[in-house]
Amino acid sequence: MGYCYLKKCFAGIIILTLLYSTTYAALRDTTYKAAVKTAGLVTGVVVDENNRPVKGAIVSVKGKPISAETDVTGNFSINAAIGDVLVFTYVNHYTSEIPVTSNTELKVRMLDRYLQTRDQADVLYGTVNTGSLLGSMATIYTNQLTTTPATIYEYALPGQMAGLYTQQNSGFTNPANQNALTSFLGSSPIIVSGHGYVPNDNTEIGITVRGNGQEGGATTIIDGVQENLSSIDPESIESISILKDALSTVLLGINGSKPILLVTTKKAQAGTPRISFTTQTALQQSLGMPGDQVSAYQWAYLYNELLDNEGKPELYTTADLLAYKNHTDPYGHPDVNWEKLLLNNYSPLTSDKLNVNGGSEVAKYTISLDYLDQGGIFKQAPNVDYNSNLNLSRYTLNSDIGVKVSKNLSVNLQLFGQVEQITSPGASYSNILSTIESTPNNAYPVYNPNGTFGGSSLASSFNNNLLAMSEYSGYQITKIHNILVNMDLDYDLSDITKGLSIKVKANLASQSQILIDRSYENLAYQYNKVDSSITYSPEGTPSAITNTFSPTVTATTSFEQASLDYNRQFGKNGVSAQAFYDTRSQVLTYDLAAITTDRALKADYNYEGKYFVEGVGNYSGFNRFAPGQQNGWFWAGGLGWQMAKENFIKDNVDWIDSWKWRATYGQTGNDNDAGYYTFKQTYGNGSAPAYYFGLGHPGAYTSDGFTETTPIANPNETWERARKFDVGADISLLKNKLQITADYYHELYYDLSVTSGGDIALLGASYPSLNIGRRLYTGEELTVTYQDHLGDFNYFISGNGTIAASKVLYFDEEKQPYPWMQQTGLPEDVIFGYVSDGFVTAQDVKNKIAAPAGYTPQVGDIKYADLNGDGVINQYDEKPIGNLKPLVYYGTTLGFNYKGFSFSAIFQGVFNRELNTDNSYVNGFSGLGFFGTGEPGQAYENILNRWTPETAATAQYPRLYFDSPNNLFSTFYLKSGDYFRLKNAEIGYTLPASFSNRLHLSGLRVFINAENIFTVTAYREFPGMDPEVNGQGAYPIQRVLNAGLTIKL
Amino acid sequence: MKRYKGAIIILAVFITSFTACKKYETFPIDQVNINKVFDPLDSNGTNAQAYLISIYGILLKGHNRLDGSDYLDAASDDAVSSNAAALKTPTLLSTGDYNSGTFSDALSGPQTDNLWAYCYGGIRQCNIFINNIGVVPIKDVVNSNGKINGIGVSERYILQSEARFLRAWFYFELVRRYGGVPLLGNTVYTVTQNVALPRNSFSDCINFIVNECNAIKDSLLTNPLSSSANYGRVTKGAALALKARALLYAASPLFNGGNIDPSNPLTGYVGGVDVTKWQAAAQAASDVIALGAFSLDTINYGRDVFLTQNNPEVIFVVLNDNGANIEKEQAPPGFPAAKGIGETSPTQDLVNAFPMLNGASIGAAGSGYDPNNPYSNRDPRLGNTILYNGAPWLQTSLQLFQGGQNEPNNGQVESLTGYYMHKFMGYSETTATFQNHNEDWIAFRYAEVLLNYAEAENEYSGADNNVYAALVALRKRAGITAGSNKLYGLPPMGSVSPDSMRNLIHNERRIELAFEEHRFFDIRRWKIAGDGPAVMNQPRRGVIITTSFGANTYTPTTVLPNIFPGTFTSKRYLYPIPYDEVAKNPQMKQNPGW
Repeated sequence: MGYCYLKKCFAGIIILTLLYSTTYAALRDTTYKAAVKTAGLVTGVVVDENNRPVKGAIVSVKGKPISAETDVTGNFSINAAIGDVLVFTYVNHYTSEIPVTSNTELKVRMLDRYLQTRDQADVLYGTVNTGSLLGSMATIYTNQLTTTPATIYEYALPGQMAGLYTQQNSGFTNPANQNALTSFLGSSPIIVSGHGYVPNDNTEIGITVRGNGQEGGATTIIDGVQENLSSIDPESIESISILKDALSTVLLGINGSKPILLVTTKKAQAGTPRISFTTQTALQQSLGMPGDQVSAYQWAYLYNELLDNEGKPELYTTADLLAYKNHTDPYGHPDVNWEKLLLNNYSPLTSDKLNVNGGSEVAKYTISLDYLDQGGIFKQAPNVDYNSNLNLSRYTLNSDIGVKVSKNLSVNLQLFGQVEQITSPGASYSNILSTIESTPNNAYPVYNPNGTFGGSSLASSFNNNLLAMSEYSGYQITKIHNILVNMDLDYDLSDITKGLSIKVKANLASQSQILIDRSYENLAYQYNKVDSSITYSPEGTPSAITNTFSPTVTATTSFEQASLDYNRQFGKNGVSAQAFYDTRSQVLTYDLAAITTDRALKADYNYEGKYFVEGVGNYSGFNRFAPGQQNGWFWAGGLGWQMAKENFIKDNVDWIDSWKWRATYGQTGNDNDAGYYTFKQTYGNGSAPAYYFGLGHPGAYTSDGFTETTPIANPNETWERARKFDVGADISLLKNKLQITADYYHELYYDLSVTSGGDIALLGASYPSLNIGRRLYTGEELTVTYQDHLGDFNYFISGNGTIAASKVLYFDEEKQPYPWMQQTGLPEDVIFGYVSDGFVTAQDVKNKIAAPAGYTPQVGDIKYADLNGDGVINQYDEKPIGNLKPLVYYGTTLGFNYKGFSFSAIFQGVFNRELNTDNSYVNGFSGLGFFGTGEPGQAYENILNRWTPETAATAQYPRLYFDSPNNLFSTFYLKSGDYFRLKNAEIGYTLPASFSNRLHLSGLRVFINAENIFTVTAYREFPGMDPEVNGQGAYPIQRVLNAGLTIKL
Repeated sequence: MKRYKGAIIILAVFITSFTACKKYETFPIDQVNINKVFDPLDSNGTNAQAYLISIYGILLKGHNRLDGSDYLDAASDDAVSSNAAALKTPTLLSTGDYNSGTFSDALSGPQTDNLWAYCYGGIRQCNIFINNIGVVPIKDVVNSNGKINGIGVSERYILQSEARFLRAWFYFELVRRYGGVPLLGNTVYTVTQNVALPRNSFSDCINFIVNECNAIKDSLLTNPLSSSANYGRVTKGAALALKARALLYAASPLFNGGNIDPSNPLTGYVGGVDVTKWQAAAQAASDVIALGAFSLDTINYGRDVFLTQNNPEVIFVVLNDNGANIEKEQAPPGFPAAKGIGETSPTQDLVNAFPMLNGASIGAAGSGYDPNNPYSNRDPRLGNTILYNGAPWLQTSLQLFQGGQNEPNNGQVESLTGYYMHKFMGYSETTATFQNHNEDWIAFRYAEVLLNYAEAENEYSGADNNVYAALVALRKRAGITAGSNKLYGLPPMGSVSPDSMRNLIHNERRIELAFEEHRFFDIRRWKIAGDGPAVMNQPRRGVIITTSFGANTYTPTTVLPNIFPGTFTSKRYLYPIPYDEVAKNPQMKQNPGW
């Protein structure tokens, strides 16, 4: 329980820091009182959120052509009279208007804008002027991240950046052992071997950029280094950008086909210490839990109906049904709502963050401490003294120190450490959740009369009591340790020639993940009552408490980069060039290092800041390809034209501030699908069927056997390539109040590693993926932002939308017998299925309509279209039925700030998305039964709308029948997956400076924010289904209501 | 000194950063390449032998094979899958509910009986072994029982011959399902080579199998084995038995004279009946008999053939674990302590095929058959093969009447026909739970060779002494009473027409080899599945037993009702080539009708 002490220690550090700093702030507060009064002049000081002086803020008198600028101490003096209104403006800060009421000195606080427009943009391996940027990117800043209460920053991304599509697939992080364990007991976890597995602490939010599911997601670059780290405190992040085009990513060379999610953390800034402490507590509420299980009585009644339909004897007698209905026999005829019994309505999420930032020009530092604790939805037993609920707790320490060693040399050192612990119930949360969803209310009682756990032999999933699984099955702990060291050296070589500098970067990251398993399984007993004699028969496979320790993943990544920079302006000609050499090595568990090496040259030129040319060449390689086939050339180029600087606009059109055209084209690569040295055939033992010779069992000569490793080698294995074209414009109008960014892209991916359609079985082995695939992705992206103020009322609205289309051009598809079976030419995520055509009518039965072979359709079944007209419904009648249209996704951010009150909201939505709802929620009884393939599942209230002869006119679902073709995936189960969410909203109030200063604080802000506030879905028939997280056993998506305060010292 | 400072620092940096350090290997050392498997320096050939063992592991084991729960015979007229509603593989095969598309490669494997890709997988492994074993200097020379012309054979050539046998057998499994298939020779194809090969003719395939058996028969171990550690390896007897079976199939009507597409060399021989093919088949079977190494196992009327290893009847066995897995799938339900599912339900027709104890068929005049007591006084093989109402089981008598303990009609899977399978099961009649027992799959046994011989000999030269000798031996072992003429119920020699003798041999084969994956192919090669008696176009039948005051009433019933007649058309004599294979390979010709 060292973890608890860590928590106390952490709290102690925070308290000490705050105590010490309070006095410091109070002392320091006197520094501004020295202004000299002159008659007729209004004087004052302008400060920022941290109570630090703002230099360069513009102060003007409303309605008069008088203005002044603040000096380095934030002081200003302006010629204004009482009754005048002073207007304070400062870039990226909200405008405020203050009437002059007396002669006293004014103190004005300027608050950061929610949406920022920066002059400098962080790009891969550097920073450039936004005006000369040719690539296609979208950026969000700190304020847009911190309104989202969540464990990882990806939660803040939906709806905020054009081109970026998210799909949440779980509401809780997935402890790696959950994947690795084949079943929760009796097997030890499998150590995750590399071979393409990348440890990633984002298991919740899937990211797709520009509709490209083939490449899968984005490469995350944190401060210039590729790291799969999502659990960074959003407050310590300066910005997150998505880099979408070839020119922006080509420096990653053989890894550059994926878009880049570029995360830049806050760097140390010189100045007096800025201390900020935020504490927040949230309630999480599960969304998308069905909640409308049918009662035991209804279940039994429906089950009998189903058996009737099948011509089988009913399972439940009238007496049984009565007992269920009246709850007269809670043991023999139980009615248990497992979801209500085992799950909490609300679970907590808390976090505390401390940031300290300051220093001198010679040495500056930033330190942040972050603690986060997220609880799960499972109830706990009062008589169990360990935590059996799902829980995530995490401590993060991040420090960054920048030292200017000499006039030319500066050194930056970042240290990042993280300790994370995930506790989960011994029976594993996904197992418990899926069993809750599939266990009928009448399966077995919670407890038997003698106090033992109830169980039933009727189905194997009833052998283990759900209460015992969720509250009395021990626990598993996943511990994750992350260490990251980042060192940057910057040596200015201006002495040699002006504008030349050299940079060296070294990074070492280490992650380890271990599992401690203390789980067990209890015996359940089936309650048997014959006449008045009661017996209990044991069920299940009980096991004693295990105590196993196993490392699941260790990953060590190192990255070294040296670059030579040249950047100089010759009159109207701006020239810059960079040369890079970098190598990245990743060692996963016991694999050989995966080494990527880039040697790149980048050059750009601009004339008068009007015309831009840029080009990059990168000779890049990956060591897991065959010797001699490891390196290749990747290149990209871009052109730009700042039209607004042309005289015909500059002189004539004053409402255009900036109008830049840009276009890029390049060839990128992706080694992501490379196998583990699969260019050479290898042989293995253990994978072959075991066999033995000789008498006896096993015989005298036992062996695991040696066999060819499959898929067999592909000697020509190479990286995937893409040719990407992007054209766009960045437009700024009406004094920068209206900003528009638009893009069109055309990305041809080729040499894709795909399963060939020409895999003839005569080969006798499974085929490796071959580099033959070709896919095309095209789309348009648009972002429009408008920001303005009416006096003190500052408001903004920003909208973005993306249309993303994909097309499978080639994968050597086999010739299909019917044209509608062909996949080539269709979108990559097209859904194939049958075409349903209402319910079978009596006339249809008479007409002997087409049906799957061996099945005679009955009235009330789903009717299918017989596309090839052969009288049989089979795979030849499946055609593309869904996801045929380009996916459209959009988001809107809007809000205002008025005298310290702030409001922001993020809306997000998708359309042209389609969902397969042929799942166990929608299909009563999980589509399974005693009588064959499976076990009876739970049923939900939608099943009441099943087809019966009486409800033939209004039925929404087919008649009840097991193993019938009613479960074939058809348009019947294809539903619109469109949705629109109020994803996030925040209301905050920054207390006036006068008030917070009286408390000896630099600033105090209180806020309430919320996530997933409401959702409008196109598919409403089944209320229990969330449009994003809806798989059986998936942890539900959470609505989070969060309140907190930020103290600045 | 000051001006050297820079140079010294630069030098120091160079020294620290470029000091040589050994890196990782360029190819993972744990990855085994072919030189390590077929190691030219390993005189034990450990890895090479392990490679061959993995090929043995590919061999089919018929127990619970289809869907992991049914016997292939449930796809013939001998049985049905008890789980008919779930459209299990045997039901689909039985009712013809499949096409070349559902026979796609994605669904292939022993569980579906679509063995196209599976067998070519085995053939590939055999070819890798055959091509490479030559470099392994295995020092053993087998003198005692592996000989070519009396000279000892190096172990590596024995191993190579074993691989060639396995390859021939994989081809045979293909040929009897699909007709002629592409023969790959010794080539191991890589992904860069063109594998769009055409099919070889049926004749080529049979010749290949027969030639291979001939070529390897003298470089294999011989029975009886000198060491029990070699039990399970391919022997000369196995090679000859495979040859005999292949020639028997080749001589059979489906391929010899009854080709479903008379001009198509892929589906059988072109031209009329060639009776010498029967002669070749008879000769091949008699070659096995002439080895003198095998005999019928008489313990418990042959029941122990499947339960004891190394009995004299075994010619080739696919080794398996000890266990009670057969019981878990096939034993009757209704016993909480020994749960069975009863997946494969034997049909009434199979039960009726068993003669009386005196050898007379139940329909024959004076057989003594009592319809009200149908299971008494029957061939002991009936009890060994089938569990019927009243049969002893788990210390009780089975209740297979309606509502009885073992046919409770409670909705769970139970026999559809009123019978459960009994063959291969251990002695669980007298124990409270299932006993673990030998579950080896006997692929070739002497009884089959005798039946192969009797069938071929009867076709070629009529019901002669040799035919009688084979049948008498089988019936005697089965426990049928000898009768006064010592013919064990067979009609007197000379009194029987070749046709009725043929029917008698067919019936004997049906009951002797029931559930051993023969009937499914026999009704095809005899061309009686859809023609003549068209056994597959008859409904499968069972019995409904009702009991009243101790008296049982037996009422025939139809199971699998709604799909007959006429579903077994001529195309179903052969499987379709998987659709994908034809679509991807322009040279691949589909079987007729698919």
